[in-house]
Amino acid sequence: RIMPVRWSRYNPNYLEPEVKKESYQKPLEELTEEEREQMELKAVRPIKAAPPSLSSSVFSDPMISKFTNMMMKSGNKVLARSLMSQTLEAIKRKQLEKYHKAPENEKETIECNPYVIFHQALKNCQPIIGLSNITKGGKTYQVPVPLTDNRKRFLAMKWLITECRENKHRRTLMPEKLCQELLLAFNNEGPIIKKKHVLHKMAEANRAYAHFRWW
Amino acid sequence: MAAPAYPAWVTRWVSGQWRNKKRPPALRPPRTLGAAAATCITEMSVMMACWKQNDFNDTPCAEEIRMFYDCVAKAEKERKNQNEDTLSSKGNLPSSKVNKLLKRFPQITRYA
Repeated sequence: RIMPVRWSRYNPNYLEPEVKKESYQKPLEELTEEEREQMELKAVRPIKAAPPSLSSSVFSDPMISKFTNMMMKSGNKVLARSLMSQTLEAIKRKQLEKYHKAPENEKETIECNPYVIFHQALKNCQPIIGLSNITKGGKTYQVPVPLTDNRKRFLAMKWLITECRENKHRRTLMPEKLCQELLLAFNNEGPIIKKKHVLHKMAEANRAYAHFRWW
Repeated sequence: MAAPAYPAWVTRWVSGQWRNKKRPPALRPPRTLGAAAATCITEMSVMMACWKQNDFNDTPCAEEIRMFYDCVAKAEKERKNQNEDTLSSKGNLPSSKVNKLLKRFPQITRYA
Protein backbone atom coordinates (compact mmCIF):
# COMPACT_ATOMS: atom_id res chain seq x y z
CA ARG A 1 0.00 0.00 0.00
CA ILE A 2 1.47 3.41 -0.93
CA MET A 3 1.12 6.19 1.64
CA PRO A 4 0.72 9.74 0.30
CA VAL A 5 4.03 11.60 0.17
CA ARG A 6 4.06 15.34 0.77
CA TRP A 7 4.10 17.36 -2.38
CA SER A 8 2.47 20.68 -2.96
CA ARG A 9 -0.65 19.55 -4.83
CA TYR A 10 -2.99 18.20 -2.23
CA ASN A 11 -6.76 17.96 -2.33
CA PRO A 12 -8.02 21.20 -0.70
CA ASN A 13 -9.70 19.05 1.97
CA TYR A 14 -6.35 18.21 3.52
CA LEU A 15 -5.39 20.25 6.60
CA GLU A 16 -1.96 21.33 7.82
CA PRO A 17 -0.39 19.22 10.61
CA GLU A 18 -0.16 20.77 14.10
CA VAL A 19 3.29 20.14 15.55
CA LYS A 20 3.41 22.16 18.77
CA LYS A 21 3.02 20.02 21.86
CA GLU A 22 1.50 22.82 23.92
CA SER A 23 -1.64 22.93 21.82
CA TYR A 24 -2.40 19.28 22.65
CA GLN A 25 -1.79 19.62 26.38
CA LYS A 26 -4.50 22.21 26.97
CA PRO A 27 -7.50 20.78 28.82
CA LEU A 28 -10.83 20.80 26.98
CA GLU A 29 -12.45 23.59 28.98
CA GLU A 30 -9.82 26.20 28.18
CA LEU A 31 -10.36 26.10 24.45
CA THR A 32 -12.36 28.85 22.76
CA GLU A 33 -15.26 28.17 20.39
CA GLU A 34 -13.11 28.38 17.26
CA GLU A 35 -10.55 26.00 18.67
CA ARG A 36 -13.25 23.48 19.52
CA GLU A 37 -14.59 23.68 15.99
CA GLN A 38 -11.07 23.31 14.65
CA MET A 39 -10.55 20.14 16.71
CA GLU A 40 -13.79 18.66 15.47
CA LEU A 41 -12.85 19.47 11.91
CA LYS A 42 -9.49 17.78 12.38
CA ALA A 43 -11.18 14.59 13.54
CA VAL A 44 -12.99 14.30 10.22
CA ARG A 45 -10.66 15.70 7.56
CA PRO A 46 -7.44 14.10 6.31
CA ILE A 47 -4.13 15.78 7.19
CA LYS A 48 -1.10 16.49 4.97
CA ALA A 49 2.16 14.69 5.68
CA ALA A 50 4.52 16.76 7.83
CA PRO A 51 7.60 17.98 5.89
CA PRO A 52 10.97 16.77 7.20
CA SER A 53 12.02 20.32 8.08
CA LEU A 54 9.11 20.78 10.49
CA SER A 55 9.97 19.61 14.00
CA SER A 56 8.35 19.88 17.42
CA SER A 57 11.59 20.17 19.39
CA VAL A 58 12.33 23.22 21.53
CA PHE A 59 15.60 23.77 19.72
CA SER A 60 14.13 24.18 16.25
CA ASP A 61 13.53 27.70 14.95
CA PRO A 62 11.83 28.36 11.61
CA MET A 63 13.94 31.47 10.90
CA ILE A 64 17.17 29.61 11.56
CA SER A 65 16.08 26.73 9.31
CA LYS A 66 15.14 29.19 6.56
CA PHE A 67 18.54 30.85 6.88
CA THR A 68 20.34 27.48 6.76
CA ASN A 69 18.41 26.57 3.63
CA MET A 70 19.45 29.81 2.00
CA MET A 71 23.08 29.20 2.91
CA MET A 72 22.96 25.66 1.54
CA LYS A 73 24.79 25.02 -1.74
CA SER A 74 23.88 22.14 -4.07
CA GLY A 75 21.85 20.34 -1.44
CA ASN A 76 24.61 20.02 1.15
CA LYS A 77 22.38 20.51 4.18
CA VAL A 78 24.88 18.84 6.53
CA LEU A 79 27.51 21.46 5.76
CA ALA A 80 25.04 24.35 5.96
CA ARG A 81 23.73 23.19 9.33
CA SER A 82 27.22 22.71 10.74
CA LEU A 83 28.18 26.22 9.58
CA MET A 84 25.07 27.61 11.27
CA SER A 85 25.82 25.86 14.56
CA GLN A 86 29.44 27.02 14.43
CA THR A 87 28.22 30.58 13.85
CA LEU A 88 25.92 30.44 16.85
CA GLU A 89 28.71 28.97 18.97
CA ALA A 90 31.11 31.70 17.85
CA ILE A 91 28.55 34.40 18.75
CA LYS A 92 28.11 32.85 22.19
CA ARG A 93 31.86 32.70 22.75
CA LYS A 94 32.41 36.32 21.78
CA GLN A 95 29.57 37.55 23.92
CA LEU A 96 30.76 35.51 26.91
CA GLU A 97 34.23 36.96 26.50
CA LYS A 98 32.77 40.46 26.50
CA TYR A 99 30.61 39.57 29.49
CA HIS A 100 33.47 38.36 31.64
CA LYS A 101 35.65 41.33 30.79
CA ALA A 102 32.96 43.92 31.41
CA PRO A 103 32.64 45.78 34.75
CA GLU A 104 29.81 44.82 37.10
CA ASN A 105 27.28 47.51 36.14
CA GLU A 106 27.47 46.73 32.42
CA LYS A 107 27.10 42.98 32.76
CA GLU A 108 23.32 43.05 32.44
CA THR A 109 23.30 44.98 29.18
CA ILE A 110 25.35 42.38 27.31
CA GLU A 111 23.11 39.91 25.46
CA CYS A 112 24.50 36.37 25.49
CA ASN A 113 21.74 34.36 23.82
CA PRO A 114 22.81 33.80 20.18
CA TYR A 115 19.21 33.22 19.04
CA VAL A 116 18.12 36.58 20.40
CA ILE A 117 21.10 38.23 18.68
CA PHE A 118 20.27 36.50 15.40
CA HIS A 119 16.63 37.56 15.46
CA GLN A 120 17.37 41.12 16.46
CA ALA A 121 20.11 41.46 13.83
CA LEU A 122 17.76 40.19 11.11
CA LYS A 123 15.06 42.57 12.27
CA ASN A 124 17.49 45.49 12.11
CA CYS A 125 18.52 44.51 8.58
CA GLN A 126 14.99 44.37 7.18
CA PRO A 127 14.20 47.26 4.80
CA ILE A 128 10.90 49.08 5.33
CA ILE A 129 10.08 50.19 1.81
CA GLY A 130 11.48 48.80 -1.40
CA LEU A 131 11.78 50.10 -4.94
CA SER A 132 10.03 48.55 -7.89
CA ASN A 133 10.38 49.25 -11.62
CA ILE A 134 7.23 50.73 -13.11
CA THR A 135 7.07 51.63 -16.81
CA LYS A 136 4.98 54.66 -17.64
CA GLY A 137 4.98 56.44 -20.97
CA GLY A 138 7.97 54.52 -22.25
CA LYS A 139 10.26 55.27 -19.31
CA THR A 140 10.94 53.01 -16.32
CA TYR A 141 10.87 54.69 -12.93
CA GLN A 142 11.98 53.34 -9.54
CA VAL A 143 8.88 53.73 -7.42
CA PRO A 144 8.89 53.35 -3.60
CA VAL A 145 6.59 50.50 -2.69
CA PRO A 146 5.70 48.81 0.63
CA LEU A 147 7.10 45.28 0.95
CA THR A 148 5.47 42.19 2.42
CA ASP A 149 6.91 40.53 5.53
CA ASN A 150 8.22 37.57 3.59
CA ARG A 151 9.98 39.81 1.11
CA LYS A 152 11.62 41.81 3.92
CA ARG A 153 12.88 38.69 5.65
CA PHE A 154 14.17 37.30 2.38
CA LEU A 155 16.02 40.51 1.51
CA ALA A 156 17.63 40.73 4.95
CA MET A 157 18.87 37.13 4.78
CA LYS A 158 20.01 37.49 1.18
CA TRP A 159 22.01 40.62 1.92
CA LEU A 160 23.62 38.97 4.92
CA ILE A 161 24.68 35.89 2.97
CA THR A 162 26.00 37.75 -0.10
CA GLU A 163 27.90 40.16 2.12
CA CYS A 164 29.57 37.30 3.97
CA ARG A 165 30.40 35.42 0.81
CA GLU A 166 31.96 38.25 -1.12
CA ASN A 167 33.54 40.79 1.20
CA LYS A 168 35.82 38.63 3.23
CA HIS A 169 39.51 37.87 3.43
CA ARG A 170 40.52 34.68 1.66
CA ARG A 171 41.46 32.87 4.86
CA THR A 172 38.44 33.74 7.05
CA LEU A 173 35.81 31.05 7.31
CA MET A 174 32.10 31.63 6.87
CA PRO A 175 31.01 31.16 10.51
CA GLU A 176 33.53 33.73 11.72
CA LYS A 177 32.56 36.31 9.12
CA LEU A 178 28.83 35.68 9.69
CA CYS A 179 29.35 36.07 13.42
CA GLN A 180 31.04 39.45 12.91
CA GLU A 181 28.29 40.66 10.59
CA LEU A 182 25.53 39.52 12.94
CA LEU A 183 27.09 41.30 15.90
CA LEU A 184 27.51 44.49 13.87
CA ALA A 185 23.91 44.30 12.65
CA PHE A 186 22.74 43.72 16.21
CA ASN A 187 24.30 47.08 17.11
CA ASN A 188 22.92 48.79 13.99
CA GLU A 189 26.34 49.20 12.38
CA GLY A 190 28.03 47.40 9.53
CA PRO A 191 27.73 47.17 5.74
CA ILE A 192 24.30 45.54 5.63
CA ILE A 193 22.69 48.31 7.65
CA LYS A 194 24.41 50.74 5.29
CA LYS A 195 22.86 48.96 2.33
CA LYS A 196 19.45 49.24 3.96
CA HIS A 197 20.00 52.97 4.53
CA VAL A 198 21.05 53.41 0.90
CA LEU A 199 17.80 51.77 -0.20
CA HIS A 200 15.79 54.02 2.10
CA LYS A 201 17.60 57.09 0.78
CA MET A 202 16.82 56.14 -2.80
CA ALA A 203 13.18 55.59 -1.88
CA GLU A 204 13.12 58.99 -0.23
CA ALA A 205 14.69 60.64 -3.27
CA ASN A 206 12.08 59.03 -5.52
CA ARG A 207 9.11 59.77 -3.31
CA ALA A 208 7.61 62.00 -6.01
CA TYR A 209 6.96 58.92 -8.14
CA ALA A 210 4.96 57.23 -5.41
CA HIS A 211 1.71 58.09 -7.20
CA PHE A 212 2.62 55.78 -10.09
CA ARG A 213 1.69 52.82 -7.97
CA TRP A 214 -1.75 51.42 -8.66
CA TRP A 215 -1.96 48.98 -5.81
CA MET B 1 -10.72 30.46 -63.22
CA ALA B 2 -8.57 33.25 -61.92
CA ALA B 3 -9.43 34.90 -58.57
CA PRO B 4 -12.82 33.22 -57.98
CA ALA B 5 -15.23 35.82 -56.71
CA TYR B 6 -17.04 34.37 -53.76
CA PRO B 7 -19.91 36.21 -52.12
CA ALA B 8 -18.98 38.14 -48.97
CA TRP B 9 -20.62 35.67 -46.55
CA VAL B 10 -18.39 32.86 -47.83
CA THR B 11 -15.17 34.69 -46.88
CA ARG B 12 -16.65 35.65 -43.52
CA TRP B 13 -17.69 32.06 -42.87
CA VAL B 14 -14.28 30.71 -43.79
CA SER B 15 -12.55 33.24 -41.56
CA GLY B 16 -14.57 31.89 -38.63
CA GLN B 17 -16.55 34.95 -37.76
CA TRP B 18 -19.78 33.02 -37.38
CA ARG B 19 -18.23 30.64 -34.93
CA ASN B 20 -18.22 31.93 -31.40
CA LYS B 21 -14.49 32.62 -31.24
CA LYS B 22 -14.36 35.66 -33.45
CA ARG B 23 -17.37 37.52 -32.18
CA PRO B 24 -16.38 40.89 -30.66
CA PRO B 25 -16.92 41.14 -26.89
CA ALA B 26 -20.33 42.31 -25.71
CA LEU B 27 -18.86 45.17 -23.63
CA ARG B 28 -15.77 47.32 -23.94
CA PRO B 29 -14.02 48.32 -20.71
CA PRO B 30 -15.03 51.85 -19.73
CA ARG B 31 -12.13 54.30 -19.67
CA THR B 32 -12.20 55.35 -16.01
CA LEU B 33 -9.19 56.82 -14.18
CA GLY B 34 -7.03 54.60 -11.98
CA ALA B 35 -8.66 56.06 -8.89
CA ALA B 36 -8.25 54.65 -5.37
CA ALA B 37 -4.65 53.79 -6.18
CA ALA B 38 -1.38 54.64 -4.45
CA THR B 39 -2.62 54.27 -0.87
CA CYS B 40 -0.65 55.21 2.25
CA ILE B 41 1.27 58.06 0.64
CA THR B 42 0.70 60.45 3.56
CA GLU B 43 2.01 57.87 6.03
CA MET B 44 5.00 57.26 3.81
CA SER B 45 5.83 60.96 3.50
CA VAL B 46 5.51 61.44 7.28
CA MET B 47 7.88 58.52 7.81
CA MET B 48 10.35 59.89 5.28
CA ALA B 49 10.32 63.33 6.93
CA CYS B 50 11.09 61.65 10.24
CA TRP B 51 13.94 59.75 8.58
CA LYS B 52 15.42 62.90 7.16
CA GLN B 53 15.51 64.48 10.60
CA ASN B 54 16.97 61.46 12.36
CA ASP B 55 19.54 60.38 9.79
CA PHE B 56 17.59 57.29 8.69
CA ASN B 57 17.70 55.61 12.08
CA ASP B 58 14.75 53.37 12.83
CA THR B 59 14.62 53.68 16.61
CA PRO B 60 13.46 57.32 16.91
CA CYS B 61 10.95 56.82 14.08
CA ALA B 62 9.31 53.71 15.50
CA GLU B 63 5.88 55.38 15.87
CA GLU B 64 5.72 56.57 12.23
CA ILE B 65 6.92 53.20 10.98
CA ARG B 66 4.22 51.46 12.99
CA MET B 67 1.57 53.77 11.50
CA PHE B 68 2.87 53.07 8.00
CA TYR B 69 2.69 49.31 8.60
CA ASP B 70 -0.88 49.61 9.93
CA CYS B 71 -1.92 51.61 6.88
CA VAL B 72 -0.33 49.05 4.54
CA ALA B 73 -2.08 46.14 6.32
CA LYS B 74 -5.44 47.92 6.07
CA ALA B 75 -4.96 48.67 2.37
CA GLU B 76 -4.04 45.02 1.74
CA LYS B 77 -7.19 43.80 3.50
CA GLU B 78 -9.38 46.24 1.56
CA ARG B 79 -7.91 45.09 -1.71
CA LYS B 80 -8.61 41.50 -0.80
CA ASN B 81 -12.22 42.30 0.09
CA GLN B 82 -12.67 44.30 -3.08
CA ASN B 83 -11.61 41.47 -5.36
CA GLU B 84 -14.92 39.65 -5.14
CA ASP B 85 -17.61 39.11 -7.73
CA THR B 86 -20.08 41.62 -6.27
CA LEU B 87 -21.23 44.94 -7.69
CA SER B 88 -18.64 47.69 -7.88
CA SER B 89 -19.33 51.27 -6.80
CA LYS B 90 -21.32 52.19 -9.91
CA GLY B 91 -23.69 49.24 -9.62
CA ASN B 92 -22.22 47.41 -12.63
CA LEU B 93 -19.98 44.40 -12.73
CA PRO B 94 -16.56 44.91 -14.35
CA SER B 95 -16.82 44.43 -18.08
CA SER B 96 -14.44 41.46 -18.28
CA LYS B 97 -16.65 39.49 -15.88
CA VAL B 98 -19.77 40.46 -17.83
CA ASN B 99 -18.12 39.27 -21.04
CA LYS B 100 -17.26 35.92 -19.48
CA LEU B 101 -20.78 35.42 -18.18
CA LEU B 102 -22.36 36.32 -21.51
CA LYS B 103 -20.06 33.89 -23.29
CA ARG B 104 -21.05 31.11 -20.96
CA PHE B 105 -24.75 31.70 -21.52
CA PRO B 106 -25.06 32.94 -25.07
CA GLN B 107 -28.23 34.25 -26.68
CA ILE B 108 -29.25 31.57 -29.16
CA THR B 109 -31.36 33.06 -31.90
CA ARG B 110 -31.43 30.17 -34.41
CA TYR B 111 -32.93 26.84 -33.51
CA ALA B 112 -31.94 24.67 -36.41
